[in-house]
Order: sequence, then C-alpha cells, then structure tokens
Amino acid sequence: MLRDLVIHENEATRIGQVLGSFLEESGASEALLIDRSGQLLASTGKTATFDTVSISALAAGAFSSTGAIAELLGETEFSVLFHQGVRESIHVSTVDGETILLAIFDDGTTVGMVRLFAKEACRAIGAILAEARTQPRRVGVLAAPLTADETRGRIGPETR
Amino acid sequence: MSIINYAAKEINFKVVYYGPGVAGKTASLQHVHRSLPDGNKGKMISLATGDDRTIFFDFLPVSALTVRGFVTKFQLYTVPGQVYYNMTRKLVLRGMDGVVFVADSQWERLKENVESFRNLEENLREYNYELDRMPCVIQYNKRDLPNAAPVPYLEYMLNRRARRVPSFESVASRGVGVFDALNTVSRMVLLSEFGQEQEVQSNAS
Repeated sequence: MLRDLVIHENEATRIGQVLGSFLEESGASEALLIDRSGQLLASTGKTATFDTVSISALAAGAFSSTGAIAELLGETEFSVLFHQGVRESIHVSTVDGETILLAIFDDGTTVGMVRLFAKEACRAIGAILAEARTQPRRVGVLAAPLTADETRGRIGPETR
Repeated sequence: MSIINYAAKEINFKVVYYGPGVAGKTASLQHVHRSLPDGNKGKMISLATGDDRTIFFDFLPVSALTVRGFVTKFQLYTVPGQVYYNMTRKLVLRGMDGVVFVADSQWERLKENVESFRNLEENLREYNYELDRMPCVIQYNKRDLPNAAPVPYLEYMLNRRARRVPSFESVASRGVGVFDALNTVSRMVLLSEFGQEQEVQSNAS
C-alpha cells in the first residue's frame, strides 16, 4: 500500500538541487519525480514546454504495467524503462517502492550517461523522501481540522 | 494517496471512476472535461481501443477549491470496465483517495454491476484498503432509458452495506448528475484527510 506523502519546503529545495545536478551531469533536458499513483512530485527542466502532469500519469501507468509483466515473468520488477524517440527519449528508473524518476533527453547525451547519473540521483532522492515520510502531515495552517464550510466548494455545477 | 506539497501550496488527490463496461465512466469524465473552464482542467487523456472502449484508463486533472491557501487538485481516472481487464484495473486503483462507482441502471446489467462492485472490493483488499473507510459515492447512470430499474432496487442491490454511501441519479451523456457525484466525493475526500473523523461519518451516512 502506498503511504501518504508530505513535501515541506526544505525537502522540496533539496529535491530540486538533486534534480538540478542530475540534469547538469547527465545532459538530460528534463527530470520529473513521479509518485507511482501517477502524481507529479517535482520537476526541473530547461524547456518546461512539456505537459508534465499528463506525462506523469502515463509514465506511472507504463511503469506499473511493465512491473506487472515482470511479475508474470517471475521478476520482482523491471527497475529501468527506456523509450527511444527520433528526437526525444525517456528513461524511467525506480527511486523507491513508491516513486520513480523520469528523464527526458535528446541526442546531446546518451542513455548510458543518463542511466549512470540517474542511479545516483535516485539514491539521493530516496533518502530525502524517506525523511519526508516521517514528517508530520498537517502543520501550520493545515494543523486544525477543516470545517464543513471550508469543504463546501464545488468542482463544477450540479444539476440538482 | 494524498500528497501535500507545502512548497507548491498544493494538495493532490486521486479519484477513480469504477464500474462495469459501458456504464458511463468515460462519458462522465468527458462531461467534466467539457464543462470546466481551461484554467480548472488539464488535458484529458484516453487510452482506448479503436471502438472507444477504455483499455487502460482515462485521465483528467482538475483543480477545485483553494483551502487555507492550498490549491486542491483532483486527478480523475477511469478503469476499463470489461471483466478481463482486471490486471490493468487494479493498477489504476493504486494510491487512490476516493471512488465514484458508476452503475448501469438497466435491468439486464444488474448482474454486471454487482460483479463489478465485488471486484472493486476484492481489488481494494489487495492494496489493504477498506471500502468502508474509503470516500465512495454511487452514480446510477442511464436514468433516461426506459428499461432502467428503480433506484430503491439498485440501492438494495449495491448499497446496503453497514455504511451506506451517498448515491446519485445520472445521465452522463447529457451531464445530468455527474457533478453532484463528483462534488460529493471530493468533499468526502477532503474531510477524510483534513476533517474530524465524525464529520466523515456523518457526511457519508
């Protein structure tokens, strides 16, 4: 079962630094930290033109389904996923049981470089997330329970 | 699995539309997508077969209200309804915070509804989730069809657990009742994460 996650400013900054160094060292253009349920936790990149929310949902789905294939083959999981495109390629690797790191890169670097530095980045981010999971979830303005009034907002217009 | 990001001032939730094939899960999401202004929604993605049956999931991110300075975002997913896609259905449930069960109201689909509901319970158990503790609403869809079973009968078939969940009549193709169900489940999700325990109970009863 996935555990709830909270990211405080301190962890967000540290994760941002790790992702930044990863991009610099690997030559990848974009790095996305994605929760396995499909939610984007953090992203750093040079272009910021991609639809990172959609990419996160799809990559988590793809990673889960290849994980299910791995199980059918008697593997625990495939820890790395690589898709090669004409211009852009993606490399997805396991951070921990609940998180994956996706890198987008072009022919300015190689999959070997990305793989090498992704391993390091995953280790560093895994340690930060392990700390984050021990942090209290509700602090500051979220410490007091929400009142019914505060949750009365609507996503869209009702027909009743 | 809700994610609170204090740095981005965001709270993210995942809500899954579950139910038998062709019950109206994708149609519900399409209505949500059509109805919301661009600023409150992302791109809708459908992983479907050539004949428009969902093969993996549909996905639509929406943002809802701002609570104490935090923007609440809901990622809406559908599952493939057909029985033999259970493995992919299970994958979509991973980390979900709430569920909208879309039932097909037609008499001849009653069996499929019951089987799908049981399948939901089984799949949740594999993730150690308990349906009785999970924010859940039922959306009785296709209420405009002449062969729709009466709601009390559907309630008897699908909603007679110890905890009865809120239920809504809908015609997803025309958008009737879709937001009634979605707004309610999003409220339940928020209360289950940030409210008092008793508020969740009273909201769900």
